[in-house]
Amino acid sequence: MENLSTLIHLDYTLMIVAIGAALLGTVSGALGTYAVLRRQSLLGDAISHAALPGIAIAFLLTGSKTPLILVLGAAIAGWLGTLLIMSIVRLTRIKYDSALAIVLSTFFGFGLVLHTLIQRTGNANQAGLDTFLFGQAATILERDVLTIGILGGIALIVMLVFWKELKLLVFDEGFAASIGLPIRTLDVLLTSLLVIAIVLGLQAVGAVLMSAMLVAPAVAARQWTNRLRLMVFLAACFGALAGMSGTIISSTASRIPTGPTIVLCATVIVGISITFAPNRGLVWDRIRQQRHRRNLKMETSRY
Amino acid sequence: METAGSKAIEVTDLTVAYQDKPVLWDIDLDVPPGVLLSIVGPNGAGKTTLIKAILGLVRPAAGKVLIYDKPYEAQRRIVGYVPQRGSVDWDFPTNVLDVVMMGRYGALGWVRRSGRRERDLAMQALEKVGMEAYATRQISQLSGGQQQRVFLARALVQDATVYLMDEPFQGVDATTERAIVTLLQELRANGKTVVVVHHDLQTVTDYFDWVMLLNIRRIASGPVDETFTPDNLRETYGGRLAFMQTDK
Repeated sequence: MENLSTLIHLDYTLMIVAIGAALLGTVSGALGTYAVLRRQSLLGDAISHAALPGIAIAFLLTGSKTPLILVLGAAIAGWLGTLLIMSIVRLTRIKYDSALAIVLSTFFGFGLVLHTLIQRTGNANQAGLDTFLFGQAATILERDVLTIGILGGIALIVMLVFWKELKLLVFDEGFAASIGLPIRTLDVLLTSLLVIAIVLGLQAVGAVLMSAMLVAPAVAARQWTNRLRLMVFLAACFGALAGMSGTIISSTASRIPTGPTIVLCATVIVGISITFAPNRGLVWDRIRQQRHRRNLKMETSRY
Repeated sequence: METAGSKAIEVTDLTVAYQDKPVLWDIDLDVPPGVLLSIVGPNGAGKTTLIKAILGLVRPAAGKVLIYDKPYEAQRRIVGYVPQRGSVDWDFPTNVLDVVMMGRYGALGWVRRSGRRERDLAMQALEKVGMEAYATRQISQLSGGQQQRVFLARALVQDATVYLMDEPFQGVDATTERAIVTLLQELRANGKTVVVVHHDLQTVTDYFDWVMLLNIRRIASGPVDETFTPDNLRETYGGRLAFMQTDK
């Protein structure tokens, strides 16, 4: 009898974790599509690393581990990091990739120092902050799922409302500007949506590997479709699938960090997509090449 | 909007610099309504930058631009723009019809989706450029000439009065080139003003009625038969004009 109740309890915990991870994958998959299409895949990496000191500072200031507060701290830090990257590119002669590297490593280093300091103080409340490095899905509670659901939902709604503006921004920025779209504002909006997706994923996936959750689902989705709408939808599905399977696998054994597990699941999806997707897949490519060669041979042998 | 004697485009004392290097220096240019004007000049002469400055896409260090006597911001809806074909990623996941409908986004305004009207206008524009059969084609499967025609169709659905086109003849085949020329002349016949960044000096006299010679400074501008002279060309291109016969 006791066994049964632990089993039910376990299932309930696992269900919460799986729902949280699926939501998270949905949001980051959908929004990551834009980052991939804008060739800003590495921006996600910079934002997630830059968010780390924000979590530590939020904890130091409030002494609380309420997810909303930590997420807010992470968002502000991630946002500042992005703003800094944009300013460096605009105001100096430093190129985008160098600016990215500078900000990413500086913020991340600062974050690590702060986290070490917090651990040294021996604050009983501090346990768990280091899960933000590699993620620990087991720490996801109902209130976290609620936070992910509400904030992620808002981000997705904003994306849908400004669908055609964002699409034009990504496809043809010059033309978008010529018809009067505020390019810089839209750029900031899109980046803010990315920041939201990233900080929501920090707890489960961790700062180090979060960018994979933005990039992998979108890369996989691109293989299967030539339509933006479908690509965003598929990326969301792939993200959810990777998130859910990764967290469930990592929950079954203790002390397996969730981030790497989720990323491995996403990698499997990418691998399958790159190999087997029609039209763009490697297998398809090979078949087409062979058919082409055969046709050429037949045509040339006729003469 | 269109008052007698007003200029379609009026550029005054325009200077644009990237960091400390001037790209355009003290440009004056008057474009009367209803002309087909080509901007020619060597590489790095600032042709694209001039187009972008007229569209407000680059911030000038000095000078001003008026479209029918008003700043560009007030006249966006009567200006159509064809960017360089190479400025976008043609592997973007969308099809031909969708790209052409983007030309209606300005008129649609924020948040509103394109509907049947936009679709119909886009199909009409595709017919005009001979691409109606390609409406559902993924854009990565287009040839260079087809990409160019899609961009032209997108500008056509803008239903503008003034058109600015950056190298529409770049890398297109002879058939497409003829189709584009016919289209440009049709636009002019309908009273539109068309400004085209152009590379091929051989065709300037055949295709255009006005020309601007540009090499960071404005060398000359006006009707082709008065302006497109060996002297002006020599001044624009320096000694690099040996390949061209100007006496045809």
